[in-house]
Amino acid sequence: MALLELDGVTRRYGALVALDQVAMSVEEGEVRAVIGPNGAGKTTLFNVITGTVKPTAGTIRFAGHAIAGLPSHQICRLGVSRTFQITALFPEMSARDNARLAAQARHARRWLPFGGGHVFAEAEALADAALQQLGLTAIADRPAGLLSHGDQRLLEVAMAMAQQPRVLLLDEPTQGLSVEETAQAVETLARFLKASRMTVLLVEHDMEVVFRLADRITVLHRGGVIADGTPDQVKADARVQDAYLGGLE
Amino acid sequence: MKPLTTGIAGIALLAVLVLAPLGLPPFAMTLLTEAVILGLFAMSLDLMFGYTRLVSFGHAAAYGLGAYACGWLLLNTGMPMLFAVFAGALLTGIVGLGVGWMCTLATGVSFSMLTLAFAQLLYAISFKWTSVTGGSDGLAGIPRTVGPFGFAALSSKAGFYYFALACLVGGFLACRALVRSPFGAVLRGIRENEAKTTALGYNTRLYKIAVVAVAYGLGGLAGGLYAPFAGFANTELLFWLLSGQVLIMVIVGGAGTLVGPILGAAFFMLMEHQLSAWTEAWALYFGLIFIAFVLFAPEGIWGLATGLATGRFRPASERH
Repeated sequence: MALLELDGVTRRYGALVALDQVAMSVEEGEVRAVIGPNGAGKTTLFNVITGTVKPTAGTIRFAGHAIAGLPSHQICRLGVSRTFQITALFPEMSARDNARLAAQARHARRWLPFGGGHVFAEAEALADAALQQLGLTAIADRPAGLLSHGDQRLLEVAMAMAQQPRVLLLDEPTQGLSVEETAQAVETLARFLKASRMTVLLVEHDMEVVFRLADRITVLHRGGVIADGTPDQVKADARVQDAYLGGLE
Repeated sequence: MKPLTTGIAGIALLAVLVLAPLGLPPFAMTLLTEAVILGLFAMSLDLMFGYTRLVSFGHAAAYGLGAYACGWLLLNTGMPMLFAVFAGALLTGIVGLGVGWMCTLATGVSFSMLTLAFAQLLYAISFKWTSVTGGSDGLAGIPRTVGPFGFAALSSKAGFYYFALACLVGGFLACRALVRSPFGAVLRGIRENEAKTTALGYNTRLYKIAVVAVAYGLGGLAGGLYAPFAGFANTELLFWLLSGQVLIMVIVGGAGTLVGPILGAAFFMLMEHQLSAWTEAWALYFGLIFIAFVLFAPEGIWGLATGLATGRFRPASERH
């Protein structure tokens, strides 16, 4: 059975239909890219899955739980972690403390108002492991606000990983990076994805990045799914070329 | 080396405060006791302002509520002072839960405005509910009731000072444990990026309500000490001017340090006392001092002290 399954998911803003009857299912261990032109509803899809935005209609099942409409902190605790299109970090904390706070969110005693040495120790072990997976061990003690843009993007992924998620949602992980930084970050991500066998839902504009990382691709256009398949199938699909690749030129 | 130096400085400061009644004249003891009470009050606001970036424009509500509650209990029941003070703190903390629930419906400036609105509401009530609050006269002649358990020592000048100092030290140790705990780490996350903290899976609103309740409880403890200290509670304790002054104490002392606001409160009292003996427009001169701190020492007195001790001092223009 699929780990993440959407059926008939719709989100309206007044007359605008941002998501229109979206159905898709993501298998465990799969890296799925969601692509589509600007305004196709990719970020809205992420917001609906993570509970930042409630769907107007439809069901979302994650690991057997119906999660549509739950508050975002509850969905997060079921094992859905995400990164943001625009870098969101704690700039004055060290990279390690950023990842530690992320890991702490999954601890049963994350709220402990005194002591808590064991909470910190367990969270820090997860944080250090995640930083290592993303190749950030060397800069773990530096304030997150002073890291290079590429390292900041990777730190966001490390923070999500420190939460030991069952599915990882990456919203344009190379957004705002230069060509060289993008190439480096994609190499690191590809190595990490291969080693971790993580289930990933990825939104990305850069087609090279998508074809490098994704096992399967879902194409959104005006809020609806117009194609779903392997990178080669999607590349060959006439509707996709018409709506998306053609639309670029 | 830094934690060691500050630790030694803290112990030295505590030793001076413990020995103070031996050498100081009664008038100075009165000032020092008030500084200790105000220090506790300022420190309670630091939990919200310094650690969670929740800017309260109405923290006088906690002080005044604690003072009125404790004063009313001492005047109208036979409750010993020790219990009345803590009962005032407890009541204020419970009210703080409601205030936190209400004010965290909003964020940013709207949050601040709601805290101010609540404080002004209490201020209006203190005028109108004459049968309980004494109206514009306030509550006068509040006794330091000894009670049946023999806390007589607390009622003397030095005894009351030690009682207030114990509350300050106890409050400081509790706050320090709180900000160093997992709970405190979440508060820091809210301070730096609340949206991200929520996205990580924290229910940030509950944390904010809790920290407002704790800050109110400690502020109420300070107010509860003030009532038997001064022997009265009046509407000025709920006035917005005090809310502004306590914010200034926190900023001048050094927000987000706990010790800083205590020093800031003492500095404020010292300046008020010295400057007002010299000019009526003392608030104007203190305003200039405040501006100088914001411009040249944004980390406050405590930031200056620890910076000098470790040679890390940098003026504001060189900070990143």
